[in-house]
Amino acid sequence: MASYIPIFLMLAAAAGLGIILLTLHQVLGPKHPTEEKLSTYESGMSPIRTARERFSVKYYMVAVLFILFDIEVVFLYPWAVNFRALGVFGYVEMMIFIVILLVGYYYILRKGALKWD
Amino acid sequence: MMEFKILGIGILTWITFLPVLGMIVVLALPKDSKSVTRWTSLAFTALQLVLAGVIFMNFGRGIPGVNSLDGMQFKELATWIDIKSVSWFGRIHIDYFVGIDGISTPMVLLTALISFIAVLSSWNIEKSVKGYFALLLLLDTGMMGVFVSLDFFLFYVFWEVMLLPMYFLIGVWGGPRREYAAIKFFIYTLLGSVLMLLVILALYFSVAIVDPATGEKMHTFNMLAMMNPANFEPGSILAGLNTYWRYVAYVGLFIGFAIKVPIFPFHTWLPDAHVEAPTAISVILAGVLLKMGTYGLMRIAFPIFPDAAIYFLYPLAFVGFINIVYGALCAMAQKDFKKLIAYSSVSHMGVVILGMAAMNTQGMVGAMFQMFNHGTITAMLFLIVGVIYDRAHTRGLDDFGGLMNQMPKYSAIMVVAFFAALGLPGLSGFVSEAFSFLGAFQTFRWVTIASTLGIVLTAAYMLWTLQRVFLGTLPEKWKDLPDINGREMVALIPLGIIVLVLGVYPSPMLDIMNSSANALVDFVKSGSGLALLGR
Amino acid sequence: MIEQILSNMWYIRPEIALTITCLAAILADVFFKRKALVAGVVLGGLLASGVLLMEQYGVSAPAFSHMLAVDPFSVYFRGVILVTAMFVVLFSLSSVEINNPRLRVGEYYALIVAMTLGMTLMAGSSNMLMMYLSLELTSLSSYILAGFTKNAPASAEASLKYVIFGALSSGLMLYGISILYGLTGSLDIYAINHVLMTMGANRLALLIAGVLIMAGFGYKISAVPFHFWTPDVYEGAPVTITAFLSVASKAAGFSMLMRFMKVTFIDSTFAGPVGTWALIPGFEFTNILIVLSVLTMTLGNLVAVWQKNVKRLLAYSSIAHAGYMLMGLVVLGNDGFAAVLIYFVIYMFMNLGAFFVVMLVSNKTGSEHIDTYKGLGSRAPLLSVAMAIFLVSLTGLPPTAGFIGKLYLFAALINAKMIWLAIVGALNSVVSLYYYVLIFRNMFLREGTGSTEPLKFALSDNIILFLLLIPTLVLGLYFTPLVQFAQYSVAMFGVR
Repeated sequence: MASYIPIFLMLAAAAGLGIILLTLHQVLGPKHPTEEKLSTYESGMSPIRTARERFSVKYYMVAVLFILFDIEVVFLYPWAVNFRALGVFGYVEMMIFIVILLVGYYYILRKGALKWD
Repeated sequence: MMEFKILGIGILTWITFLPVLGMIVVLALPKDSKSVTRWTSLAFTALQLVLAGVIFMNFGRGIPGVNSLDGMQFKELATWIDIKSVSWFGRIHIDYFVGIDGISTPMVLLTALISFIAVLSSWNIEKSVKGYFALLLLLDTGMMGVFVSLDFFLFYVFWEVMLLPMYFLIGVWGGPRREYAAIKFFIYTLLGSVLMLLVILALYFSVAIVDPATGEKMHTFNMLAMMNPANFEPGSILAGLNTYWRYVAYVGLFIGFAIKVPIFPFHTWLPDAHVEAPTAISVILAGVLLKMGTYGLMRIAFPIFPDAAIYFLYPLAFVGFINIVYGALCAMAQKDFKKLIAYSSVSHMGVVILGMAAMNTQGMVGAMFQMFNHGTITAMLFLIVGVIYDRAHTRGLDDFGGLMNQMPKYSAIMVVAFFAALGLPGLSGFVSEAFSFLGAFQTFRWVTIASTLGIVLTAAYMLWTLQRVFLGTLPEKWKDLPDINGREMVALIPLGIIVLVLGVYPSPMLDIMNSSANALVDFVKSGSGLALLGR
Repeated sequence: MIEQILSNMWYIRPEIALTITCLAAILADVFFKRKALVAGVVLGGLLASGVLLMEQYGVSAPAFSHMLAVDPFSVYFRGVILVTAMFVVLFSLSSVEINNPRLRVGEYYALIVAMTLGMTLMAGSSNMLMMYLSLELTSLSSYILAGFTKNAPASAEASLKYVIFGALSSGLMLYGISILYGLTGSLDIYAINHVLMTMGANRLALLIAGVLIMAGFGYKISAVPFHFWTPDVYEGAPVTITAFLSVASKAAGFSMLMRFMKVTFIDSTFAGPVGTWALIPGFEFTNILIVLSVLTMTLGNLVAVWQKNVKRLLAYSSIAHAGYMLMGLVVLGNDGFAAVLIYFVIYMFMNLGAFFVVMLVSNKTGSEHIDTYKGLGSRAPLLSVAMAIFLVSLTGLPPTAGFIGKLYLFAALINAKMIWLAIVGALNSVVSLYYYVLIFRNMFLREGTGSTEPLKFALSDNIILFLLLIPTLVLGLYFTPLVQFAQYSVAMFGVR
């Protein structure tokens, strides 16, 4: 247990510092609220409409699909580095992996997930 | 011993499964052939009755049975389930084991008779006839199976098979509050039977016998094996005598059976079920189903737990007393004809309990005989109510009066049934009640004396009922009530004859029961390990 | 290393078949766009997987460095899961709800296969990481399937609730796993057991880890108090998926829980009588299980009494059944486990049967309300009788199979002298009778209010009905093969 005490102290100090600073400026700082100051900041302009807008679902689709296939590369790198050591077995295995992903890729293509209009 | 086979299958199997055959035939009939359905059902139950007659003729009198394999007659034994043992779980062996002795034979006869009469008295059922008779026949198999089983597992299966048909027979064809009555019956009985199931399992793991074929030790559901104290494995939960768990197990079994009897305070389903059930089902309910409770006590609870049976003997006699007096008092307060008879059943079953609790031969014979007699007499009473209800569409006792002249034949039969029920000498009810009280008097003096109050009360409400229905002035609206018809006579007359004959000459029945009753009493007394205490 | 991986491929051939089936289903869907074809591919794939599974009968070995255990126990549960999946695919073919032209059925079948794959992996997992991953594969597929009829608001609600509860409980479970890893330094349950046996662990930490991991399992088998998602999801999801969740998903959860408990927390050096086990000191989980079991069956049964939607009623009934089966785990012995195994096969037939009838009725009437069942006895006699038999079997009355299931559970309890728990279980089955009866009371005792026209069902529907009905009856009267198979299948790799 004893070995954890420094970690605990560190956590306590970090949390304490944050709390102290936040309360200090609340207590000490001068407050002169005006309408301008309280309004939402938007690059120095007055905000014209609500910030809670709907985005087209397509953005999300592309984002999700990007992440999905991006991960593929993470697996490809270690395989490429050890390509010789893994030999045929590694090659076949990676091909299977890619084929599975390709099936998914083909699926989203056919379903039109990447069509923008 | 007795070998009676038809097409290579024993007579008890036939008598049990004949109704199922009937059910299959009925289900295969086209939907609109109502009268064919009725006649088919009647034919199958008649055949069953014939087989019962064969059993009656060939049953070896004077062979006690009870706990001895050799004493069981018409027995059949076949392996049903046999699961080889594994290193951590013993062999599972369930037999199809049936056989009858002096305790069960009267019940087998009664079941066949009542089923036949129930079919006869169901003639005027018009609503989904096919379903009705199919269920009735299935119920018949369940009842018969209970009385012939000697394997506890088999017994339990038959015991539960009856529930569903009964639920539907009350629930679909019953009176206005049929749904309530049906579910109440179902839940009460299931409550009792799950407790029984746990006891069965506890017994199963406590009893082990040596398999004659392999010499291997194995657990068994065989009731006769459970009756032998030597078969209980030392250290098992129900081993020993007068242990806590043996008492708990006995009480569990007792509650299971007491709900069927029904013993106060488990009786509240009975009036509801009786009032709502159609006539034929009331007849079966009172005639056969109630007997299963007391039969179970005699066949199973007493010989397997003789120690606990003796230990709880006094409470048993006391609930018998409560049943007798409470049932009679309730009956007296009823304005509904059917409810009155339902409560009279509670009272009469109390006599059976009291006779059993006497734990001597007279009391036991009295109880067994009372079971049979009550079956026939109450069946008559319910048929009689059914006759009047079919005509007047009311069962209110105060609605009637002066029927004596309007329906003379009906009145004559009713008087016989009522006098039999109140125990008039010369009719069968007297013999059995006399035996029961005589036996009980030797064991429990004061309880018995107090119980005789019930006889007085019974006489009072029976006679009062007769007076209310038959004497006085005939109300205007019943001026053209027709008398009893031929079909109803056919159902009632045989029962009446049985009641009369057994009243003056009871020995055909007593001969069957005597030695078994004697053996049962001796066995329980000797197996109890207690010097008969609590006297 | 590579040789080992290659040779271990043999052990996951059923799973490989499922993976290929899943891909094939997706491709078949996009190429041909014919629903029946996709279903056919899936059915063929499940069948192939089943055949490959049969070859593993009798094998007992670890695979992929103790990631998976291939043993009679996992073969048994994988069998149950595959058979259930096949029935669910058959159900789906005649479900009106699923065959709505606005829905993309291709994904539906592919997801069923993916879920099946996750569940079969759950049955074999012997590494905490593998357990977690297969659990998540199952859960993710089932979230989508629960919300599959996306136009129905209830379905969307079901899916969302399912996701939230699932995320919470898998989070708890993951936390428990990490504590256990911290305590023992391993994720392999055999190694964890070894460490716990030889070195022991902080009691409190072990208790917390155990309870947290149980939360994850409890969620999967819908044990009280982790059951809150069950009624809403079962009610909102399409009937086919409800049936699938209530049987296969529960089977997978149970198999994982049983393996985890038996391998991790049982003293492997205990030398008592064969078939009995001893807990390792430090974590007496039986007490927790007893409480869970009593709560689960009692609450499930009592709440079911008030339900008006038959699907919701059956949801609560399935909670109660999980409670019954938990009783078998409390016994700490092979007979208790065997009882659970027996119960599962029986439960599969009777519960799928009940849900199939619910589906057929809602196909014709569009409703799952209990009042829809009024007068059904005369409109659809065969269906109603079948439903009555399934319900009686669920109650546990002879001569139906449900009785045998209960019999073995109670027998295990009584043999272990846990009489009071057995009494609680028995009384619970009396309570359950009341609400099961409500359904067939409506079918037979009540007159219908609406149409009285007879309902006609396709021949294929009747055949499926009989496929479920016959085992429900036959296993009640002749159960020798089932019991022998279950007793054989209790054996797990690496433990006594």
